Amino acid sequence: MTTIRTLALALFAMLLTTAANAVEITFYHYQQGNLPALRAILDDFEKANPDITVRDVFKPSRNITADVQAALAAGRPVDVATVIGKNIIFFLNNTPAVPLNVDGDAQWLDAYLPNFLDLGRVGDKIFAIPHAYGTPMIYMNGDIFRAAGLDPEDPPKTWDEVMQYARQIKDRTGKAGVAHLHASMGDYGTMVMVTNAGSTYLTKDGTRAKFDDANGIAVLQMWQDLATSGVMPIANDRQWNSAFQAGQMGMYITSSAALRGFLKASDGKFELGVANYPLWRDQPRRVNNSGGALMLYSPPGERRDAALKLLKYLSRQDISNRWSRESGYMPVIQNPTADPVMREYIETFPYVRPVIAQMAQTVPTATWPAEGTLEAQTTVRAMLDELWAGKRPAAEIVPEAVAKVNAALAPNRGTN
Amino acid sequence: MTAVGTATPSAGAYAPALARLRRTLGNRRLVPYYYLAPMVVLLGLFTYWPFVHTVYLSLTEWNLRPDTPLKFVGAANFAEITDNRLFQDALRNTLIYIAGSIPLKVLLPIPIAVFLWSLGPRGQVYRSVIFLPTLLSFVVVSVVFLWLLNPIGGHAQQFFGLFGLSFPNVLGQPDSALWTILLISTWKIIGFNTLLYIAGLASINRDYVEAMRIDGAGDWAVLRHLIWPLLTPTTFFVLIATVIFSIQQVFTPIDIMTEGGPANGTTNLFYMVYQYAFVVFNVGYGAAGTVMLFVLLLAITLIKVRLLDRHVHYDQ
Repeated sequence: MTTIRTLALALFAMLLTTAANAVEITFYHYQQGNLPALRAILDDFEKANPDITVRDVFKPSRNITADVQAALAAGRPVDVATVIGKNIIFFLNNTPAVPLNVDGDAQWLDAYLPNFLDLGRVGDKIFAIPHAYGTPMIYMNGDIFRAAGLDPEDPPKTWDEVMQYARQIKDRTGKAGVAHLHASMGDYGTMVMVTNAGSTYLTKDGTRAKFDDANGIAVLQMWQDLATSGVMPIANDRQWNSAFQAGQMGMYITSSAALRGFLKASDGKFELGVANYPLWRDQPRRVNNSGGALMLYSPPGERRDAALKLLKYLSRQDISNRWSRESGYMPVIQNPTADPVMREYIETFPYVRPVIAQMAQTVPTATWPAEGTLEAQTTVRAMLDELWAGKRPAAEIVPEAVAKVNAALAPNRGTN
Repeated sequence: MTAVGTATPSAGAYAPALARLRRTLGNRRLVPYYYLAPMVVLLGLFTYWPFVHTVYLSLTEWNLRPDTPLKFVGAANFAEITDNRLFQDALRNTLIYIAGSIPLKVLLPIPIAVFLWSLGPRGQVYRSVIFLPTLLSFVVVSVVFLWLLNPIGGHAQQFFGLFGLSFPNVLGQPDSALWTILLISTWKIIGFNTLLYIAGLASINRDYVEAMRIDGAGDWAVLRHLIWPLLTPTTFFVLIATVIFSIQQVFTPIDIMTEGGPANGTTNLFYMVYQYAFVVFNVGYGAAGTVMLFVLLLAITLIKVRLLDRHVHYDQ
């Protein structure tokens, strides 16, 4: 009895010592549906590192930037934070972000696709690693395709085909043909459409819009034609989303992040199909990533060491691929198919194929500078509304909008 | 022992001062201020100090970093905001929301309240029905209306389709989108204002109505010469409260249904301030927008008080 009591006391003392020595790091994220998957990974990390505990703090995606900013301003602990891609420049300018490749070992960053690291790259320093990336792709309602006399196994490959399929759907079924997301993340849809057409949405430093060139105007004219011809009902992302989930729309082009939701919504209701983002004329496919990256904020010392340990753990091929499989986000590690589990997953889950195919065709999401962002983004939205109203052609509307955007962004250009 | 030895003369020395303090505190004239003090402290701490600080922030440029000093920029934030299209659209829409709220949220509940009041106890069910939307979350209401009004197979579209008609895309056009949001917020809030009017009507002695009826007065005469004058204090309160809150009431539907679009057609100053402060983190612009919103509402309220107060009948 005495021995048991002594052992129990010793165990208790050990637990106390462990708890007292544990370093707690705080991880801000916006994973709600995927929280069980994320937490399971964090739990495994804690098991592998018993001296570290990870407190995950959920904030809705649309608020996370403000909440992280508020926590940093208030001096509350933030060690790792998920930052929406377009806000990275703002965060670099206005928060004490820590470069990931300066102190000590930086080789672990080589695991990531170089184009995925570009979003957080400033000169030689890397401030952000990809974590919850999505890519735009075509979602199709197979039942509507068949009713329109189209083959869902032969999806549209180009924008011309998208237009043709959408018209056929509208004419033969009376249902909406297609929609392309627009206001998600403020302006993501416009960015993707013009970038894929070979135009430049924003310069790398985010201070100048350049999509008033021939390709930019042509593709936005096509978007106007989709609206004015009636194949794309004018609505917002929420309405398109719910219409597609209700089986009322033939095609919806939106982020791969919507895949899990669409699979659930279509189950027993209609056949869901997916395809690569459409090509624009002779341009190679270039699609901006959506979603968020992880940034480091820990002060020097054991918290920073622990946070770096966590980031390195998340960058391991098996862990990164597991996160991709369980969450539905894009794989972010080089050559994901080298992992046999991932290979089997892709073979048995064809919905993820466009995501894999577009990994090499992904370019960083355009990041906005510190000043004039709201005015610039509302100008882009107003431009789309005017385009869809169809009263003037894109050749008139787009250059005016670009001029307004550039005027709004002018304070960021200094004396240049 | 030493402590006691030193404490005793000290207490003696302070005794007259304590007695004076006790007398002052016991002064009956100060008693009301004791009751007011907690509220004054709370208001000062959570309303007036933040307001003063907001005015200060509106004159600065700051990125919220505690280690970064605030840069004083004077009135530059105000000049820059008023110079851009977003502000001009937001201000125009704010005035439309306010002007539209008066007939819909201030005047329309009056006949409804009078009707329910005239029903007496039989009107309880109708009161409950009309008040019910007030209890619903604005988020839920906005999402439901988004479904109802969805131009692609939404319920309104399906219903009109039964008669071979097409329901217009009311959220797709700037003009109709603003009025749609205003009507939704009216539907949500009309029950509350009706209840306020019913409370005002309850204070009217029904003997006056009977006396007028005996003298041969009809419904219109009773409404015009008795009910309306006696209801003016309630109407005045509802008017001021509605104008102030109408801008906030449409915030959630704007955020969920249109995000200020199409073509800035539904945004207002309140939503613009939110975007500046919490979407693009421009603290100076957000604070400057808040100050301008405060000045606008203060001016409108003062004008209303000046113009209408003399027409309000506080005596029965």
